[in-house]
Amino acid sequence: MKILIADDHPLTLQGTKSFVQSFGYNVIDTCSNGIAALNLINLRLPDIAILDIDMPGMDGLDVAEKIMVSKLKTKVILLTMHKETTVYEKAKEIGVFGYVLKEHAQNELEDCLAKVAVGKEYVSAFLNDDLLNDSSLDAGVLQLTFSEKKILDLIKIQKTNKQIAQSLFLSERTIEGHRRNIIEKLGLPKEKNSLLKWAIQNHSK
Amino acid sequence: MINKIKFFKTIALFCMALLINCNDSKEKVVFAKDKNTAKDATLSYLGTHDNYQDKTKYLSVFYHYYNKKILRNDYKNATKAIDSVSETMVFNYDFTSPFYSTIKVFDSLYRKKQPELKTTFVDTYLGNYYFDKGDFKKSCDYFIKICELEPDDYNSCKKIARAYYELSYVYGCIGKQNLSLEANHKAALYFESINNLTGMATVYANYVNIYRAIRDKKNAYLNCNKAIDCCIKTKNQYDKYMGLYNKICIYDDFADPKTSKLIDSVRLDFAKSTYKSDILNMAFSNYKALYLLREDKIKEAKKLLDELKPLVTSINSEIWKQDYESAVAQYEVMSDAKNLDIKAIQSKIGILKDNKQFQNLASFLNVLKKYSVAKNDYKNALFYEEEIKKANDSMGSNIVKEKIIEVETKYQTQKKQQQIQLQDKTIDNNRSTIAALILTLLSLLLIGIIYLYQQKQKKMKQRQIVAEEFTKQLLEKMEDERKRIASDLHDSVNHELLVLRNSFNTKTDLIDAKIESIMNDVRNISRNLYPILFSKIGLVASIKQMIKRLQNDNDFLVVADLQYTKSLSTSNELQLYRIIQEVLSNTIKHSQALAAKITILSTSDNTFIELRDNGIGFNVPNVLTAETAFGLHNIIERSKLIGGIATITSDKEGTVVTINIKK
Repeated sequence: MKILIADDHPLTLQGTKSFVQSFGYNVIDTCSNGIAALNLINLRLPDIAILDIDMPGMDGLDVAEKIMVSKLKTKVILLTMHKETTVYEKAKEIGVFGYVLKEHAQNELEDCLAKVAVGKEYVSAFLNDDLLNDSSLDAGVLQLTFSEKKILDLIKIQKTNKQIAQSLFLSERTIEGHRRNIIEKLGLPKEKNSLLKWAIQNHSK
Repeated sequence: MINKIKFFKTIALFCMALLINCNDSKEKVVFAKDKNTAKDATLSYLGTHDNYQDKTKYLSVFYHYYNKKILRNDYKNATKAIDSVSETMVFNYDFTSPFYSTIKVFDSLYRKKQPELKTTFVDTYLGNYYFDKGDFKKSCDYFIKICELEPDDYNSCKKIARAYYELSYVYGCIGKQNLSLEANHKAALYFESINNLTGMATVYANYVNIYRAIRDKKNAYLNCNKAIDCCIKTKNQYDKYMGLYNKICIYDDFADPKTSKLIDSVRLDFAKSTYKSDILNMAFSNYKALYLLREDKIKEAKKLLDELKPLVTSINSEIWKQDYESAVAQYEVMSDAKNLDIKAIQSKIGILKDNKQFQNLASFLNVLKKYSVAKNDYKNALFYEEEIKKANDSMGSNIVKEKIIEVETKYQTQKKQQQIQLQDKTIDNNRSTIAALILTLLSLLLIGIIYLYQQKQKKMKQRQIVAEEFTKQLLEKMEDERKRIASDLHDSVNHELLVLRNSFNTKTDLIDAKIESIMNDVRNISRNLYPILFSKIGLVASIKQMIKRLQNDNDFLVVADLQYTKSLSTSNELQLYRIIQEVLSNTIKHSQALAAKITILSTSDNTFIELRDNGIGFNVPNVLTAETAFGLHNIIERSKLIGGIATITSDKEGTVVTINIKK
């Protein structure tokens, strides 16, 4: 297994290198910028390239895109500080195999390398964890999307579908769809007014 | 600004001065002298009277030129030449036959080929010719012919004035003083209208003759001095001495005791002067001789008269000769000459009577009277005395005097009328000048105002463009700076924190959690400063990310319908992102809305963005004028910078912000 690592932070680069080597992988080369990384990949065709996103010259996403366009065999793992799902979605769109956050590398990188080595994808479990921070809700409510929660709030104050649709700039059919999803997620019986009853019972929350 | 106004003022003043000047010079003179007429050398030679002193050369130059021009059918220049020469001849009282016949030939052959006003010199010459020959009636006819014409320029005006003067003079000589005065008034009016001093001098001299004839001493003296003044002003020596000669004549005529002194001083002055004239010399000497006779200095008189004789024979003028002959006759009476040719004198008297030359007639009669007294023939003496009275009466009778007063009044009225007309004209001119001035000033002012206004507009536009460019750059710089700070925080600070966390040998959960919390804070600050990887992620994904975060942080629903196809530059997309951020932030802070909706719609030629909430709304104009409305102005200004137009409408149903960006 030939591995190449690119990171513009020397300490992180060093740490990652010894960390990866400690798993028994062969680190064939390291570099500290995107352009050098692309050149080395073209030259030495490693099996896996572990790239940082924020790098001078060319960022990790650009390098990954070039690799995809050139249809090289090298698989890309992004090791980054970016926690946003939008960044991950962009990476996925390009065709990146692994997405690991630096702060959780110690826990996730070994798993990630193992999965990518056999051609599977790996995504960090800690993406967007800062969006869900209300621990007071029960498990059922936690599963609801933001829109669904908003609709539930309005159902609690006994708004009709039509009123809810007007208030939230949505169509009645969308509201109807959301209602069905909420009933399913909360595990309520599929009978008339079950959601309203539940909502009134949980009104105080 | 002040400088410009000064500049316009100066222009206005300049224009005013110019207009006033133009008017001044036009009003005084009806016909201005044409100064720029280019004459050829020969013509200007012929036009100078002094050149006639070498008579042979003068005439040969003339005939050579004149014949050549006639042969070439150049009648225009031929006319000019003969005109000048005829003037010179008249001026010098030379009416010898060769030139007389030249004039006659011109009159019959070539005169019709030239305009009437250009050939009046023929009549002038002939008028003077007949006057010199003593045929006053014919002379008058010629001058009247000229006077009937209407002038059309300076020269024709001058000629007509001259003709009136000559006519007046002839009338004076035949004793028609009222007609003389009338003609002289006309001459004065014409000369005044062209501001010709030489002409005025001759007119004044003629007034002297008239007033002398009607025995008005006061007016005669007055006009005499006026004439001399004019001549001194024009620096014309001949006219000056002619004026002085006239003065002597009237002093003599009014038997002024100062006459003798005047004659001596004039003769002295004339002798000293560089100016030479045979006629004047003869005239002064003649008077001197007469006065010598009166003072019984007969020998001296005889000497002077003998000296004059060759001079008199050389002068081709009958009138002047008669003066001399009269003086000689008086001398002969005084010196008791036995061989006095009474018969010759008596025959002359007959001719003089026929020609109505009363002035000379009187002096001849006086000689005969003195002769009779000397011979103790009192009967004849008495007869001559009565004849003298008759002659004098013919020159200025009482009836004539009354008529003259009438004419005088008429003339004064006419002059007044002319003055009034002139004044009216001046007033009219002034009025139109003032109107033109006001118009000019107004238009200048208008032009000035328009100019200043345009400059101001231009400057304002320029300033606006500069301001917009500045704002744009400022915003872009701000974004650059934010981006730099955001990435510094995100990359460097967070990395260092990560390294710090990993560097602890003995790890505790507390430290881990603390460091992770700091890292999350830094991450939040960073993404608030600048949307993460904006250029990479794109506008739509970044907006979605923002919405997600807003919903999570503020518990506020934002519905998005984003149908955006990449049609703006990344920096413009960023501005649009900021606008949406601003609007949503306002909505969350102030609107009390349940939800908001973002719509982006891209068509082939524009991008349309609508941000709508169902909050309580606000009064748009009031808020826009308030000093705290930075947010709203921020929205409007940023929209302008990306080539869009933002409209904000709000009521109690909610607020709508739309931005329309044309490609």
